[in-house]
Amino acid sequence: MKMERINKLITLKQAGEMISDGDKVAIAGSLIRRHPMALVHEIVRQKKKNLTILGWNNGIDFDMLIGAECVKEAHSSYVGLSNVGLAPNFRRAVQEGKVRFVDHSETCAIDKFRAGATGAPYALSKTPLHNDLQKNPEYQKEVTDPFTGEKWIALEAFRPNIAIMHAHRADIYGNVQLDPQRMMDNETDILICKSADKVIVTVEEIVEEEEIIRTPAQTVLSKFFVDAVVLAPYGAHPNSCDLRYDFDIQHSRLYRDMSLSQEGFIEYMDKYVYSSSNWEEYLEKIGKDRLDAITRTDIIRR
Amino acid sequence: MKYTLEELLAVEISRHIKDGEMGFVGVGTGGEAFIRAVGIPAVASRLAQLCHAPNYTIMFGPILDPVLDAESIPETNFEPDLIRWPCRSQITVEEALCIFKRGKMGIGFASGAQIDAYGNMNIVCVGEYKNPKVRLPGPLAQPDHAAHAKRVFAIQKHDCRTLVEKVDYISATGNQNREGLAGGGIAFVFTDLAVMDFNPDTDRMRLRSIHPGKTLKQIIENTGFELEIPEKVPFTQPSDDRDLELIRTRIDPSKKWLNAEITKEPATLEKNV
Repeated sequence: MKMERINKLITLKQAGEMISDGDKVAIAGSLIRRHPMALVHEIVRQKKKNLTILGWNNGIDFDMLIGAECVKEAHSSYVGLSNVGLAPNFRRAVQEGKVRFVDHSETCAIDKFRAGATGAPYALSKTPLHNDLQKNPEYQKEVTDPFTGEKWIALEAFRPNIAIMHAHRADIYGNVQLDPQRMMDNETDILICKSADKVIVTVEEIVEEEEIIRTPAQTVLSKFFVDAVVLAPYGAHPNSCDLRYDFDIQHSRLYRDMSLSQEGFIEYMDKYVYSSSNWEEYLEKIGKDRLDAITRTDIIRR
Repeated sequence: MKYTLEELLAVEISRHIKDGEMGFVGVGTGGEAFIRAVGIPAVASRLAQLCHAPNYTIMFGPILDPVLDAESIPETNFEPDLIRWPCRSQITVEEALCIFKRGKMGIGFASGAQIDAYGNMNIVCVGEYKNPKVRLPGPLAQPDHAAHAKRVFAIQKHDCRTLVEKVDYISATGNQNREGLAGGGIAFVFTDLAVMDFNPDTDRMRLRSIHPGKTLKQIIENTGFELEIPEKVPFTQPSDDRDLELIRTRIDPSKKWLNAEITKEPATLEKNV
């Protein structure tokens, strides 16, 4: 039998089906930047339950999954809407005891992903000493440095079942690239993906393998690390995507305002997520004018 | 010249910045929170560079050592503008935070929902952690600042809800117990009314100077714990014309920093005075 090379390009719906109820899902991106929103919508539409979501710095991605009742436990250093304020669903759910949130500092969260990515059982940190970051004791233990006798905190590695990331481009084999000019805050995405058993990457564009071979230094994840690729233009909206498109502050304000009440959030979700059968339909609702207004590809220097 | 509260704080903070050290400021958020956490430290940093600390380096998240004159400041603090902000280096967040962990960070600028008599800070929750009255966004890198920076400068609103005897959740370690931590802890608290430091003998917050036009009574009434008050407390040195001129012409003429115009959610601290 002739063996074929594996084509990893799948649909958003198929990508959603790779995630099971109860999974630990790591979500890439930071603040208002490059969270994989197309796939977040699909997770919500497929009504996944009891997820544990992991991130280092999160926003509308966590807020929406928590508001849509997909989540039992969440780990991050931040869940907020940054420039436009607090994350209403996250806030409501934690205050009502509907979700367990585990607070980490930025370094601690990143250290936990690095431990997972390098196969170490835990990372060492002094950040949680003498503060309340130790209030979730099953995830961290005090240890003694065998060389000096000093006290450190061992932070259990993040070992997600699956990581989801939004990137600029990939080929159908799963070689994933980022544009050379980009926000360096999001380099953590690579560690996040490498810490997981499975990786799904949504991308702005699919390119030929020849283009990848021409620009190998831009490949941040070789196909070896990637299980599935999904084409999702504007797939981070309303978050920004480096120099491809800007943060949609207008839509983020709308999301914030509607999410201030549970009823308003349900109305938002019905209008933008549940009644869209795929990402393209959501983008149609956002409208071409709005997308053109945030597009920044004219300034990409290659 | 008359000056605003934001200008007074920026000028005062700049005086405490030392030549040759490095300071860290975040890039996110909007409105008043941005003015305290980012805007005022940004202007203070550039003023220090221009006046007495030419070798002081500032890091804004992944943007290391940016050009801080008005014509180079980005239009927004959104990603495409930040990426194109002229700077000498762009580094990963990992690398930035390793500078903290290696003990090389001079000043961590911080701001929180609560700060207590011992300098513990909180941006996690109001009320009990497991059953909070108000859930806040989370600790960000504040615990890392508090653990590792040589000095933390806190910029806070001055009222009894913010300055409390004991924070509801310690997201940043204060000065009472620092065993095993290399960082120097919290050095100063700058508010709408005053500048505070900490008494090394008691580790408690101590009044250092009163802003011109404010009174001791106002400060005591708006502090939720017993502040240590030395016998003689000077006024905070007013901003002089040279400093104001630099801020208004060279550093921040369009108020991107001091009124958060850069965030597209502008604000002012003046109404709190």
